[in-house]
Amino acid sequence: MRLIIRDDAALASKYVADYIIERITAFNATPERPFVLGLPTGSSPVLIYQHLVRRHKAGEISFRNVVTFNMDEYVGLSREHPESYHSFMYKHFFSHVDVKPGNINILNGNAPDLEAECHEYEEKIKRAGGIELFLGGVGPDGHIAFNEPGSSLKSRTRVKTLAYDTIVANSRFFSNDLTQVPRMALTVGVQTVLEAREVVIIITGPHKAPALQKCIEGGLNHMWTLSSLQLHPHPMLVVDEDATLELQVKTVKYFKSIEMVANELGFRQVLPQKRDSVIEDQILPAQANNAKLEVPQLNISRSASPILEPMSARISSDATKVNQAMDFVEDPPLLRMSARISS
Amino acid sequence: MPSAVLVDGLNTNSQETGVTKFTNCLLVKGSELVKEDLWISSLSGKILNGQEILYGHRTAPDNIIDLGGRIVSAGLIDVQLNGAYGFDFSVIPEDGMVAYSKGVLRVNRNLITTGVTSYLPTLTSQRPEVYQKALSFLGPSGPLRDSSYGSESLGAHCEGPFLSPTKNGIHNAAVLRTSPNGISDLASCYGAGNLQSPSPIKLITLAPELPGALSSIASLANLGINVSIGHSDATYEEAQLGISAGAKMITHLFNAMKPLHHRNPGIFGLLGTTSHSHSKPYFGIIADGIHLHPTSIKIAWNAHPDGLILVTDAMRLAGMPDGTYDWTNGSRIVKKGALLTLEENGKIAGSSIQLVDCVTNFMNWTGASVPEALKAVTETPARMLGLQDVKGSLKEGADADLVVLDLQEEKEEGEKKLVVEQVWKFGEKVFERDGSAE
Repeated sequence: MRLIIRDDAALASKYVADYIIERITAFNATPERPFVLGLPTGSSPVLIYQHLVRRHKAGEISFRNVVTFNMDEYVGLSREHPESYHSFMYKHFFSHVDVKPGNINILNGNAPDLEAECHEYEEKIKRAGGIELFLGGVGPDGHIAFNEPGSSLKSRTRVKTLAYDTIVANSRFFSNDLTQVPRMALTVGVQTVLEAREVVIIITGPHKAPALQKCIEGGLNHMWTLSSLQLHPHPMLVVDEDATLELQVKTVKYFKSIEMVANELGFRQVLPQKRDSVIEDQILPAQANNAKLEVPQLNISRSASPILEPMSARISSDATKVNQAMDFVEDPPLLRMSARISS
Repeated sequence: MPSAVLVDGLNTNSQETGVTKFTNCLLVKGSELVKEDLWISSLSGKILNGQEILYGHRTAPDNIIDLGGRIVSAGLIDVQLNGAYGFDFSVIPEDGMVAYSKGVLRVNRNLITTGVTSYLPTLTSQRPEVYQKALSFLGPSGPLRDSSYGSESLGAHCEGPFLSPTKNGIHNAAVLRTSPNGISDLASCYGAGNLQSPSPIKLITLAPELPGALSSIASLANLGINVSIGHSDATYEEAQLGISAGAKMITHLFNAMKPLHHRNPGIFGLLGTTSHSHSKPYFGIIADGIHLHPTSIKIAWNAHPDGLILVTDAMRLAGMPDGTYDWTNGSRIVKKGALLTLEENGKIAGSSIQLVDCVTNFMNWTGASVPEALKAVTETPARMLGLQDVKGSLKEGADADLVVLDLQEEKEEGEKKLVVEQVWKFGEKVFERDGSAE
């Protein structure tokens, strides 16, 4: 767990926006290999979007090769409704940046078959290669996306009935009329979020302090679905001072010291090159079974013979020499490897 | 369930969508300047719902235009324009109607560069044969929707000839008529075919106190032709009867009518009406600094802010150099700057001001905000004509007639000035000011 603490919401949001931009830039996305970004709605990320838009307009970041998946959407609210998450995303982000319209994915709360819509959404995420970075916020009750307290920590994209608290809280956007607030939503599941290679959560304000405390200092608990991040290999929480009000001084000092030491040593909170998320774990064994991998060039150096060869022989561009080197690959040790795979 | 989503998004840019997005601009919406993007289509010529385009059609705009914080308004509408650029709508050229139609086109193409994207070509009081020849060239362009023809007629404005001979202004008193038989007298003047739907006439100015005028107003209202009270000697009570009969507007308020008297408020009194049975009428205002004192304009605006429509009442000398010019019926007009007077008696003879300069004057004289002032040449005239969903608005589905304006402020005087930087008609750019910052 990485916990980044900033003085206020503006600085925390700026940190997140800059971090996302850094990640997208480093990813070198192409149309064939896009950066897949999970996105939230709500009040917490508004400043992040503002910052992303500002830096896009300054020409510092393009979202051309970014594919987005939003977390959730109300059921039965028209897409044009000012409180729909389609409207939110249009207003705060998509209308200002160059994300290709075809690369935008938001759950359709008016789909004729909601279950099929949710299933298809999971498939779409898989087809896009999994989510590289899931940005999220958290509710005062610790919910992530619309995974209300009590949601399964193994849940996937599905129809969810909103908690009474949430309906009351959201009624302020529907002229304080409880009957106007949608009762259901489509949302990605806890497991969907956990399968992202990296999860970044913004938490600001004193009203979120209990949630942060439960999720960091408490145990894994389906009543605080954000606590599931304790099982994620690369979660990062970016918070303001207010959100830390319920944390122990020890906890705050510990995470501050981590960041300070890292800065002093010249490395930041970046994702390690080696990726060990669930999705890649699923992909890599499948590739290991592929016969083509039996001839890795890396193994040349493991064989004793090439070391005896003069360096000039290997540097030479002579094609026959290269072929000779390749022949060495079929040495007995490698044959034994393939024999083991086939058995 | 089919998946419409292309994860790679490769085929979204393969064809022209005709969609343009304006960004970094201030949109005139109601009485506010809103920092928002505007999406338009050159294919439909209409204003789009950007969100619907993005999510529904999954279309990215062909062009994104950064306006550098400038103002985007619906195109300006002038409901009283007698002519310009040397052409007078009320004069049939000696070489016939082909020359007339060329003259109209010349006005349209020049007029649009001033930000006026639609207007009512206005005929002063004439003999019947002039209406019967000219009106078919002045009707609404309707389904043509071709930006290369310039500014668009929304229909003709017939200012006369059913006017009071005592308030004729510079109209030739010899051609003024009355309509004791109501609509049939109007038909014999304008041509019976010109009063049938679809009529080339959009607005008729008449004097309600004349015999048969009230029944004419009621008949015109039934035909869908708007009536404006003007060039009239009506008392307050007579004017009110005109409104009850269906008149919606007052033509160039204060000019060519009884002045306000505290015991007989005259036509102006309609702006103070407290009656619930009929609403206050719209009213035209010529804010050229000659026709009206700025304070009079401010009083009228305070009395009925939602009814004020700025008009130019400009005539053919608009856009021409100073000098003395022949006018109709053997009269001559002296042009000196924006001031036009009849040579023989010094009466004010229309104006030669541009509509955007009226907006500038109006802002500086009344303290109106930019959107409030622009409303008087966009939303309000469109609503008066019943075209509020099509013209004078930046709402989805309205025509993409736009004007991009630069607001210049003089530091010392505190005076503001609006300058037309770009004009768009039916979703296509038709004018860009030289040297305007891209």
